[in-house]
Amino acid sequence: MKLHSNPWLRTAYARLWVRAKSIYGEPLWVAVNIGFPFFTSFSLTMVYRAYGLNSFTGFAILGGVMISFWGNVLWSMASQFNWDKQVGLFEIYITSPAPISAILVGMSLGGILGTAPSAAMVAILGWVIFHPPINAIWPAVISVFALTLASLYAMGMALSSLYLAYGREADSVNEALHEPVSLISGVYFPSTGGFSPFPLAVQAGASLIPLTLGMDALRRTLFFGQGFGELYLDLELLALAVMGAVLLFASSKALKFLENKGRRTGTIAVRQR
Amino acid sequence: MSIRAMIASIRVGWYREFNWTNPLTGFSLRTVGPLASVIAASTVYYVGSTNNVPPSFDPNRLAYILIGAALYAHVAAYSWVPTLAIAEGKWTYVFPQVYISPHSSLPYLTGRTLASFVTSTMTVIVSLVLSFYFLSSVFHTSIPFVVNPLSVSLLFLAMVMNILAALGLGLLLSAYALFATKFEWALPTYVAGLLMVFSEALFPVSFLPWPLSSIANILPFTEFMRASRQAMIEGGTVYAYFSHLGLAALGGIVVLAMGFLAFRYAENRARRLGVIDKKTA
Repeated sequence: MKLHSNPWLRTAYARLWVRAKSIYGEPLWVAVNIGFPFFTSFSLTMVYRAYGLNSFTGFAILGGVMISFWGNVLWSMASQFNWDKQVGLFEIYITSPAPISAILVGMSLGGILGTAPSAAMVAILGWVIFHPPINAIWPAVISVFALTLASLYAMGMALSSLYLAYGREADSVNEALHEPVSLISGVYFPSTGGFSPFPLAVQAGASLIPLTLGMDALRRTLFFGQGFGELYLDLELLALAVMGAVLLFASSKALKFLENKGRRTGTIAVRQR
Repeated sequence: MSIRAMIASIRVGWYREFNWTNPLTGFSLRTVGPLASVIAASTVYYVGSTNNVPPSFDPNRLAYILIGAALYAHVAAYSWVPTLAIAEGKWTYVFPQVYISPHSSLPYLTGRTLASFVTSTMTVIVSLVLSFYFLSSVFHTSIPFVVNPLSVSLLFLAMVMNILAALGLGLLLSAYALFATKFEWALPTYVAGLLMVFSEALFPVSFLPWPLSSIANILPFTEFMRASRQAMIEGGTVYAYFSHLGLAALGGIVVLAMGFLAFRYAENRARRLGVIDKKTA
């Protein structure tokens, strides 16, 4: 099937292209995006190193890599439609025949492509400076990484519909969500399993967030040499796949619902509340 | 500097921070971030030290990290407000209005910073108290804090003294923000990250390689952290507290003077070049 004959693919490609171009057309973006994840992971790696466990330093570096994507999901996926609404772009989306799901998928793929250089820089700098011990099963690492990103961005799509209903609250909700989700997801330390200091109920609740399962599975495959066939890892992969599918379905339903509601009540293009 | 203009700006700052919702929701949302970041940093230490062979967990170290993580978040939260006020003010047409009224830019930026300082002080105190109870119960340990009227007053004094350095840093960044048309909003994340590494927030600066360790050692923010720990953690002395506080004040005055001069220079130049309301490159 040719790309130009399918409106869904054309739309997704167009949105991907705009996002990727906005990053790669301005190389300074990489330097801008790397600041927070790099310094945070540097500091926490120093904490591991200064106070005891050298073998866990890789956890903090991996955390720096994944926090780049989590930040992108929050700020460039979840709140994107809200910002688009503020500048009048959302009206164009819904009055055009472009499918909203294609716009979201294109935005996600563009976001992943755009975040990849700064995430890679955090990984490279962390590796060069700290030489964390790695015992990786690479096919498993790559599969886990891809599935984690898929379900994480599906969560971003679901949040984007939720944020569409908000006005100025969106930014504050984003700021409030960033750190707590990083904490219970165990971005910089294991928040589930044997190493976790948290009670079982907190661990169970945290496991409902794709980032938690993804981080745990990444640590298993990257630092503890676990691959396909390990029961717990396989279960995590399955859960990530199910979460991704459910969130994707939920986001499309929620967007449709909000779009219809906005049309009925005449608030779909209201910019500031 | 007009006190009336500054007080009006403090009110503007609070309106900006809270008028989108009720104050309780606004305050709660502003507190969960710092609280989570304090717990995260402390948990990294706990996980690292308890899984060490042999285990090396030390409640004093936990207290050290808890104070550092909370105060670093506090400084980062309000030192970037002048930059935000300019960057956001350009887009919302507020900042050119400030310029139309005479001698208003400095009182405006100072007032916005002070408003954020008050908010951030309240959130940091709530974060400290909640994280103290949370970590004590989850880690089953006793965190060696000294909590009495004197220690809390000394902590508060150190926070007030640190306004000098934080405002100075804010003005230095504002000098750049006057000219910037893109990425100026990213500066604060860099500054927050740098503060985390260089202000002894989570680990002693002596762990950094030379000359970074020497530079970090003389920063007023580092001395502020040290003074606060002397006030709040068992084993601190009043002599050490005032030594660190004196150095923090001295460094703060230097940074504030630098910030003031840089901002005045940038402001005059920005007026001449006509970029005060420039929004795009």
